[in-house]
Amino acid sequence: MLDDLSASVATKLVVEDLQQATKPAQPATASSSALWVDRYKPNRFTELLGDDRVHREVLSWVKEWDNCVFGKGKARGKKRARGDEDGENTDEWRRPKEKLLLLSGPPGLGKTTLAHIVAAHAGYEAFEINASDARSADVVDLRIRPALESGSKVGSSKPVLVVIDEIDGATGGSENAGGFIHKLIQLTYDRPKKKGKQGEKTQSRPLRRPIICICNDLYAASLAKLRQHARIVRFSRPNDLHIIRRLREICEGENMKADARALATLVGVAQGDFRGCLNTLQMLKSRNTEVTETMVRSATEGMKEAEASQMVVLNDLFSPLSRKRAKELGIREDEPRFVSRLSREIDGCGSIDKVAIGCFEHYALLHRHDGTFSRYVKGMEWICTYDHMSGTMRTDREYSLMPYLSYSLVAFYPLFQERGAQKAERPKADWEHYTQTKTNQEIYGSLAQCLRTAASRCGGGYRHFSNEPLLQLELAPYLNRIISPPLRPVNSQVIRPAEKALLARLVDIMATLELRFVQEKNEDGQLVYRLDPPVDVFVTYDGKRAADLAVSRYAVRHLVAAEIDAQVIARHAEGLEKTKGKTDPFFAGKKSAGADEGQPAAKRARKDDKLVEKAAVDFFGRTIIPKETHQSIAKAARKANVYRVSYKFNEGNSAAVRKPVKVSAFL
Amino acid sequence: MSLWVDKWRPRSLDDLHYHHGLSDRLKALAASGDFPHMLFYGPSGAGKKTRIAGTLLELFGKGVEKIKIDQRVFTTPTKRKLDVNIVQSNYHIEFTPSEVGNYDRLVIQDILKEIAQTQQVDLNAKQKFKVVVIHEADALTRDAQAALRRTMEKYMSNMRLILCANSTSKLIAPIRSRCLLMRVAAPSTEEMQTVLDFVAKHEGFAIPEDTVSLIAADAGGNLRKAILVLEALKMQNPDLSVSALSIAKPDWETYCHKVADMIVQEQSPARVMEVRTKLYELLSHCIPPTIVLKTIADRVVEQVDEALKADIMHWAAIYEARMRIGNKKIFHLEAWVVKVMSLYKHFFYDIDMDGFDE
Repeated sequence: MLDDLSASVATKLVVEDLQQATKPAQPATASSSALWVDRYKPNRFTELLGDDRVHREVLSWVKEWDNCVFGKGKARGKKRARGDEDGENTDEWRRPKEKLLLLSGPPGLGKTTLAHIVAAHAGYEAFEINASDARSADVVDLRIRPALESGSKVGSSKPVLVVIDEIDGATGGSENAGGFIHKLIQLTYDRPKKKGKQGEKTQSRPLRRPIICICNDLYAASLAKLRQHARIVRFSRPNDLHIIRRLREICEGENMKADARALATLVGVAQGDFRGCLNTLQMLKSRNTEVTETMVRSATEGMKEAEASQMVVLNDLFSPLSRKRAKELGIREDEPRFVSRLSREIDGCGSIDKVAIGCFEHYALLHRHDGTFSRYVKGMEWICTYDHMSGTMRTDREYSLMPYLSYSLVAFYPLFQERGAQKAERPKADWEHYTQTKTNQEIYGSLAQCLRTAASRCGGGYRHFSNEPLLQLELAPYLNRIISPPLRPVNSQVIRPAEKALLARLVDIMATLELRFVQEKNEDGQLVYRLDPPVDVFVTYDGKRAADLAVSRYAVRHLVAAEIDAQVIARHAEGLEKTKGKTDPFFAGKKSAGADEGQPAAKRARKDDKLVEKAAVDFFGRTIIPKETHQSIAKAARKANVYRVSYKFNEGNSAAVRKPVKVSAFL
Repeated sequence: MSLWVDKWRPRSLDDLHYHHGLSDRLKALAASGDFPHMLFYGPSGAGKKTRIAGTLLELFGKGVEKIKIDQRVFTTPTKRKLDVNIVQSNYHIEFTPSEVGNYDRLVIQDILKEIAQTQQVDLNAKQKFKVVVIHEADALTRDAQAALRRTMEKYMSNMRLILCANSTSKLIAPIRSRCLLMRVAAPSTEEMQTVLDFVAKHEGFAIPEDTVSLIAADAGGNLRKAILVLEALKMQNPDLSVSALSIAKPDWETYCHKVADMIVQEQSPARVMEVRTKLYELLSHCIPPTIVLKTIADRVVEQVDEALKADIMHWAAIYEARMRIGNKKIFHLEAWVVKVMSLYKHFFYDIDMDGFDE
């Protein structure tokens, strides 16, 4: 017993001794508490890990600024040659074409490190703005612009290089004028342009220092505008071998025993995230000096689950676990349990609605035999349940339902998973439907607006039709039939009386309801008349018009359009005539009447002439009849409304007695 | 001049062609000076709004026809802007709160308070209350209906409500009990024929007897539709003889029927996809999904075996109810389609194959 005890104490002491002995061997006692990430941070350009081409691309962009920042003397021969080629005429400071650099890539690959090292390498001092700072629009004015304009930091001779980290989290987005991104873009181009125009030196200083922006998600909505103005450099995951080699070096430096398999697993789980690898290793080190695969597994559980994208999730739902993926996740391929794995994955991807739509769009494409559709019925039951729950969650704000949502989608796995099945595609039908619906709603809206104007003119007549379901269900289809009678394109003077009545009625209805034919050129350059608002989309399903509705010919539409114009003018004049009768026939009334009457008529006539000059061409390329028709109509219209021209002499200048005088008095 | 359906709309209660008993009652109510809140209900195109307008005319005289239409903007607590179209005369105000969907409570509260708290200013007015007409009252949310309840009693001295709805089933009982219910039934075929003849006579042409009955039968009690059809037909072929005539169905209806035929013809996943694109097309034309489901179901039921009919309708009702609760209409429409296909296949094989798939 005693011997045993003393032996154990002895071993303990030995271990302690060993530990004390190893401690001083470490680089520096002070930094032993520091994160390995900081300790093994590369300090020089050549120490950077990853794709050298990317690094050089960034460096060369920064170097392009040399001419502007350090002046001509410092620019090297090669750079100057480049400037002479294309820079001289485009930019007086010989700056690169894109004034911003946008680095994008998943976290932990060293984007920020690269930016700082490149800055130091090229002789700049980095000035960093990141997520810990407020990033509203006024940061640009308060901090970035002063830093850029002073050119260097206080107490330093080096020029400044602005690094904006984590820019995809910037507030305000790019769409509104007050947003951070918007301001940033203005910083780059607005000012130099202004300068070029006005030549003011005090107000408009061009951007003279490089700016590097860093983001994770290049396609974040807030970056949409920025992408067009920036040179984009993408980071991709470096080859696993490089990372493993570097990790092994570090392990050796830290006196850790790490086998290659463990490190490979670590890199695989971290998906190339070097920072994550280092942090994990450091954590393991604090427990043990040996690193094995199982330890890595247990330490990294759940580390990267948030990374699965919507498409990955979809494919996991519809196909059984692949060997590679199983290995990545560290489970056996034939693992029977799937619910927790899949539900976690679905929750993790963040866009559960999109996954649901993806399931919906994909499930019917799978052709496993299903005699009575029972699988499909079940699948649809689940998706309806999902919709029910998410609908309730949204409308009643019952967000405690959220954790259960994913389970209704997991059900697709046992129902539809199939090896070697077609890959799920990015769902798009739903979005197309959404945009189409929006367009159609707008058309309905404008039709309802037309009806309302008609209603206010005719004493409230049509107002009942502008209500929602009536408009779509009854008015839209029948209105289309009413306004497309079988008219023949003939001269309006030789038209038969029956057809003339039809035409008159058609014109009347269309004029009342504010429907017009608008002349346009189609993509072949042919003139066409388009209905405005385009209510004919409501009889068009699958791109085909209803069978019983003939598309009216160009000539017919031309005829109708002209008649409508004539009628509108006539009505206008009539209305004015009425108001003129009512108001005091003194200056004010007369003036407006005169102006309104004379001008549109003149304009109308001019426009008519232009239309005739354009000479509409029919299907065979011949000029067509309505030319005469039209002229005669225009003439008729003009004949019908003989306008009185009134003219006022020196209005408002004279204090003498005012009196309306006919033009004929002067002639 | 305008569309016939509007041009020949009766302006006063005396001009109405049918439901004379109802007209008499309305006239008596308007004359009594003790006018209650009213709820007009009945199928679409039966003449509810015409009767409301007639009643208003009876109540207030010609002044009620001088209306102005404008758009008012409401701001929600979340700073969203809502546009509501309001029709107004000196004596009444009409609006459709369901235009703004879930925010209808806000609109109702705002407008009603404004109307209710100001008394009739016009000393010459026949009545000392104003009338608020709420269209599509059955589309009101629960909240909006609850908001109506109290105001209906509280401001009785300044204001009367006239609600207009297709059915009373979606109105909460407290509201129903506060209103005088006026049922406007759909006109019978004969009544519709007289109206059609009336329109034709005044437009100066005659319609053949069988054409009239054809149109009337096709419209199914919807007089507005009948007159629109008449005008469309007259425009398309002016002689209106029955031989050359085919009454065009609205396009969405034809399309729904096409979908129904597709469901009955073939039941396969590929067909499900085809049907889905067609359903998307219908929905993107802003056809209400309930109508889509109903039309398709009606058509499917026409074509299948007797034994299946009840089941198909049963499921249509269930999925329709779910659709109202849910968000994505297309999910539920397709779920029903799949269900019908499954039912059809079961019936076709006449054996329960469920056991084989598991």
